[in-house]
Amino acid sequence: MRPAPRTNSRVYECLLAALMSILLALAWWLDPDFVAPATQLALSNHIVELALVAIPMTLIIVTGGIDLSVGSTMALSSVVMGLAFDAGAPFPLVCISALLTGTLAGLLNGLFIARLSIHPLIVTLATLAAYRGLAEGLSKGRPFSGFPEGFLAIGSGDWLQVPILVWLLLLLLLLSALIIRRTTIGLWIYAAGGSQTAAHYSGVPVAQLRLALYTLAGAAAGLAAIFFAARFNTAKADVGAGLELSVITAVVLGGTSIFGGRGTLLGAMLGVAIIHEIGQLVSWKWDQQELVQVVTGSILVLAVLVHNIFSRRTH
Amino acid sequence: MATGPDAHARLLPAAITLRATPRGRLWLIAALLALIFAGISIASPAFASPANIRDILVNISPVIIVACGMTILIISGEIDVSVGSLLGLLGALMGLCSSPTHANLPLAAVIAITLAAGAALGLLNGLLVVLGRVPSIITTLGAMTILRGATELLMAGSWITDLPASLRYLGTGTPLGIPVCLWAALIAVILSLLFLRATRPGLWTYAVGGNLHAAHLARVPTHTTRLLAFTLLGLLTGLAALVSIPQQSVIESGIGVGFELSVITAVVVGGASIRGGSGGILGTLLAAILLGSVRTGLIFINLGDSAVYWERAIQGAFILAAVLSDVLTRQDSARQTA
Repeated sequence: MRPAPRTNSRVYECLLAALMSILLALAWWLDPDFVAPATQLALSNHIVELALVAIPMTLIIVTGGIDLSVGSTMALSSVVMGLAFDAGAPFPLVCISALLTGTLAGLLNGLFIARLSIHPLIVTLATLAAYRGLAEGLSKGRPFSGFPEGFLAIGSGDWLQVPILVWLLLLLLLLSALIIRRTTIGLWIYAAGGSQTAAHYSGVPVAQLRLALYTLAGAAAGLAAIFFAARFNTAKADVGAGLELSVITAVVLGGTSIFGGRGTLLGAMLGVAIIHEIGQLVSWKWDQQELVQVVTGSILVLAVLVHNIFSRRTH
Repeated sequence: MATGPDAHARLLPAAITLRATPRGRLWLIAALLALIFAGISIASPAFASPANIRDILVNISPVIIVACGMTILIISGEIDVSVGSLLGLLGALMGLCSSPTHANLPLAAVIAITLAAGAALGLLNGLLVVLGRVPSIITTLGAMTILRGATELLMAGSWITDLPASLRYLGTGTPLGIPVCLWAALIAVILSLLFLRATRPGLWTYAVGGNLHAAHLARVPTHTTRLLAFTLLGLLTGLAALVSIPQQSVIESGIGVGFELSVITAVVVGGASIRGGSGGILGTLLAAILLGSVRTGLIFINLGDSAVYWERAIQGAFILAAVLSDVLTRQDSARQTA
């Protein structure tokens, strides 16, 4: 019961860092303005929701699962937040309602997957539709805005020239890394990913672990909805559309095996950075959001394909 | 998963069992369907009128056609979430090929191109899954975005409005008094039913989905079987595009958004197991009609326009209810595998 061999993932992380440097060099060659620190910092805010949800997604994929419902959970949380705000609830309660909605949505996924042992793919595909549908039904497509000044200041504010939300993200990231590296829970996650049956018989509480991870993914999506509201002063039913694709692509590109058992948070964050930079570069340079979609989808498939080609002997 | 005497039996080709939809599930869906018709007809009698039933069937026919292919694919143990985007892309392709201001090709060429492109893109998904060993959810999630993006790039924000009358006939024509799309659905249902029940590749599909390794040992051509399932699904999506999209006079880039979900809902509610190895066309057909009736029924019971907003929530709830009922019925046998 040991985490994945460190050496392997280190090599891959260096490779990703190199890829990132090449990408930035290419970007600089195409348009020096793009890599200017000011532009990068201005764009870095967009990375927060992606990175936030990538933390639990990495752990879920490491345990051999998947969560397709994160984008819809974010939308549902966003709409509940907007409805609570419209109903005149005190603002801290408005934020709590969003977080709670996300957590409960994740918990429901977890109960179906861990307690009833239904395949995560079909559960989260169903809730991908159900949560988005609830968000649309509850809001009737109406956007909410007019959030208080102090809240929006958190979304646009920065400290030491780094956005406050990025600091918050780093804090959560550090916390997750500590839990994974320094506690038994970290060992359990990798053990469950290697073989759920073997882990179960070794005394790993696999069901509770999976329940907790899917709940956490819901909570992260709820928090992402709050972040989104703070940045754009809107809450509506179409936020987080396609989030699941970007997050899963980032995690898989970051070296997490789609078959479970292997992957690191550092790799996932590098994956997030690369996906983010490519997306920004494509939309900055060619100004076509459709092209970003095509590129992201291709990276997802290619990342797994290349990974399979190089690890052929292990299968 | 496969333990006990059953695992041994599966090694023998002769012992591969064809696990079609359980009778109980078929009766359950039929009962639900009867209940919905009875309930809504009391509130508004027009619901059960022949004209409305025909409308329901016409609206749901593209789902039925593609769901036949999806049933075969899900029985083989794979899944494809890109069919909605594929439908959109084939619609754009069909429009660009047939429109007099674009390629202006004859109808036969348009039909051939649409079907061939559908089959080829389905095969491409299959090659990535079978030879590239990329899990089907990853491959088709990628394909879903790539194909949708490609459609939008191809259409470049414009609409195709000058569809020739010959193509429109596929959407609006009624040979022998029955709309073309219903003929197509009937043919798709009969052929896929025969494929699964009476051909060797059909039997292989159940074997591959039931236990891939055992099927391989039993010399079932597992690669070919799965590639065939992906290709058939692409081909049927092409057929659905041909008979459903010309029903409207305009082709835009948003066609088929969320379509994959209706299709997968029909298959899962119809009793096919997402783990592969079991399921059948009749269950899927009944489930698709059930979903179509619920969709129309919501509009009848005064939900009016807001019915559109709740549709996805209802589809999701249907899938969850279906898998939940599966769990509750296999409670005793599946306990120890949890």
